[in-house]
Amino acid sequence: MGSSAYLLITLLLYAAGAMHVLLHAVFRRSSLSSVSLGATLLGFAFHTAAIALRWSEAGHFPAVGLRDGASFLGWAIVLVFLLVHATTRVEAASLFAYPFVFALLFVANLAAASERTDPMLRSLYLPLHVVLAVFGYGALFAAFTMGVLYLFQERELLARSPRRFYYLIPSLERSDTIGGRSVVAGFGFLTLAIITGFLWNHSLQGRYWTGDPKQWAALVAWAIYVTILVARWRWGWGGRRAAWLQVVGFTVVVFTFGWATFAPAVAVAAR
Amino acid sequence: MIVIVGLNHETAPVAVREAMAFTKDGLAAALAQVRKDAGLDEVMILSTWNRVEIYGHSEKAALGAVVEFLARYHGRAPEDVEKHLYRLEGEPAVRHAFRVAASLDSMVLGESQILGQVKEAYQAAEEAKSLGAVLNGLRTRSIAAAKRARTETAIGRNAVSVSHVAVELASKIFGDLHGHAVLLVGAGKMSELAASQMVRRGARATVLGGRTFEKAEQLAASLGGRAAPFESLRAELVRADIVISGTGAPGIVVKREDVEAAQELRHGRPLFLIDIAVPRDIAEDAGHATGVFLYDIDDLQKVAAANLRERKKESAAAEAIVEQEVRDFLEWRRSLEVVPLVAELRRRADEIRKAEIAKARQRLGPLTPEQENALEAATSAIVNKLLHAPTVRLKELASSGHADDVGLVRRLFDL
Repeated sequence: MGSSAYLLITLLLYAAGAMHVLLHAVFRRSSLSSVSLGATLLGFAFHTAAIALRWSEAGHFPAVGLRDGASFLGWAIVLVFLLVHATTRVEAASLFAYPFVFALLFVANLAAASERTDPMLRSLYLPLHVVLAVFGYGALFAAFTMGVLYLFQERELLARSPRRFYYLIPSLERSDTIGGRSVVAGFGFLTLAIITGFLWNHSLQGRYWTGDPKQWAALVAWAIYVTILVARWRWGWGGRRAAWLQVVGFTVVVFTFGWATFAPAVAVAAR
Repeated sequence: MIVIVGLNHETAPVAVREAMAFTKDGLAAALAQVRKDAGLDEVMILSTWNRVEIYGHSEKAALGAVVEFLARYHGRAPEDVEKHLYRLEGEPAVRHAFRVAASLDSMVLGESQILGQVKEAYQAAEEAKSLGAVLNGLRTRSIAAAKRARTETAIGRNAVSVSHVAVELASKIFGDLHGHAVLLVGAGKMSELAASQMVRRGARATVLGGRTFEKAEQLAASLGGRAAPFESLRAELVRADIVISGTGAPGIVVKREDVEAAQELRHGRPLFLIDIAVPRDIAEDAGHATGVFLYDIDDLQKVAAANLRERKKESAAAEAIVEQEVRDFLEWRRSLEVVPLVAELRRRADEIRKAEIAKARQRLGPLTPEQENALEAATSAIVNKLLHAPTVRLKELASSGHADDVGLVRRLFDL
């Protein structure tokens, strides 16, 4: 079996996981979440195998082009959310992650693999830079998710008549804490990703700054998250204001990347 | 046969339930007595606020004797209490035991205390050595079923009393309440109840007292917190995360300006205001300030009612789980019923085999040890092989509830 077969199995398993999460949200049966978690873990194993196989097939770190880029971004998001789940037991977060990951994998399965065999792809900076960037954006996506959950829960509490979501979503303080930590982690990864990006450029072209749209986009994202951190730790902005910042910040980042390249996943790697 | 005699909140008024209750200290003696009087092999007594039930098991059902015991033990005539009692035997009794443990028979559907009370009752019966294989089986299966119903449905989820709703809402805002501050304005019964539950979850309490400062100090001491004069309201609001107000004052006690001033200094950190006073203590528009969640007694009651409706919806799913577990239990019980029959069948076959060997030996004369062994092995093998299929089928028939066919086997083999 080649890497594409593994990728297809991954897609099916993630779909099963996503289905169960939705059923869980509708019927609130906790027994279902273990099924979806099982499907996700199995899917993640196949996904890892698919990426490893693809690495040996392509001869370079598989994060170039739409197919490999989307696949790797999806892999990192699943990893980040599995970590969030393992440490916090917040199930509601997966409500957001699953559809997004499913969409990424769907795109990855449809797209053709990149045939590029640039010497620059053999550089060690490729895996280093891509892993850091993808984890950075994965963590910032987690922060976005926690922000959305916070605002949702706040609305439910203000309405004074809790509905279904009220029971699924973690407490305000929890969403706030996890969101804050995700921003810190995401910011750390993003900073390192930008530094390795500069170094990579320097090793290829002898320049750190090339004026590439992707560099501008990364810088905008970095600035946004500096603002969020300053707001949180210097001005004492917590709760709803921080939640809004996380949601708006991530949205701006996605749009910046949309502008910089067609798909953010490609932007991460394809230089 | 499993039997249950009992009364609950639906069949008996509280005065009767009180009169028929068993004390913890008298339980062991009562268990021994009912066992003797009613000729039960196994017995357990469940006695709570809302129900008094005697679970028994014996070969012959002894419902009348159990009723007699229950009445006489409490100094009543059986005729007087009869109308409050239900008497169940066999499958209905098993189903009842399962439903009670799963809190499907409770006054407050899905309440969590009953399972603990059931566990304690079995524990007490075990200590009094009045449990055997049957009631022990009922114990493990019904407790497991109750746990399944709780985890797989939302039957026990979400608070249905006002004070619990307040605590649950607080934990939806602040998480586990550890290190959070509760401010009590006024010292009523209900505020005390809600506050003590929050303190148990790790919150610190402050009690504001007015003219009767002593009362505030007492309450603060019982909550392990401190008391403060009413004039420090604004300062305390800045420190507090949760405010429970329940004064008997006729007018507004916590004004909008107070809350807004506090929120200024709190950087929009959430503040949960609970107004359980009638007439209300907290100005309604105080809830408009950012980060403030204001619930009055009506809001809390609405949430409690919604949660109860939700539980009722879930009860169908819980009933289905319990029903499935009841079936499994009954199947297990029936499969045990054929054990003596199978043993008898085997014993009879072995008797015949031994008698025939003795006859054969007389005709054959002395045999070598090898020949003895061969004869023994051959006859045993015939008996075992012949009986293997009927044994297996019997167990299958019994567990699927075909009791008549089991009777046929008895007649066929003249057992």
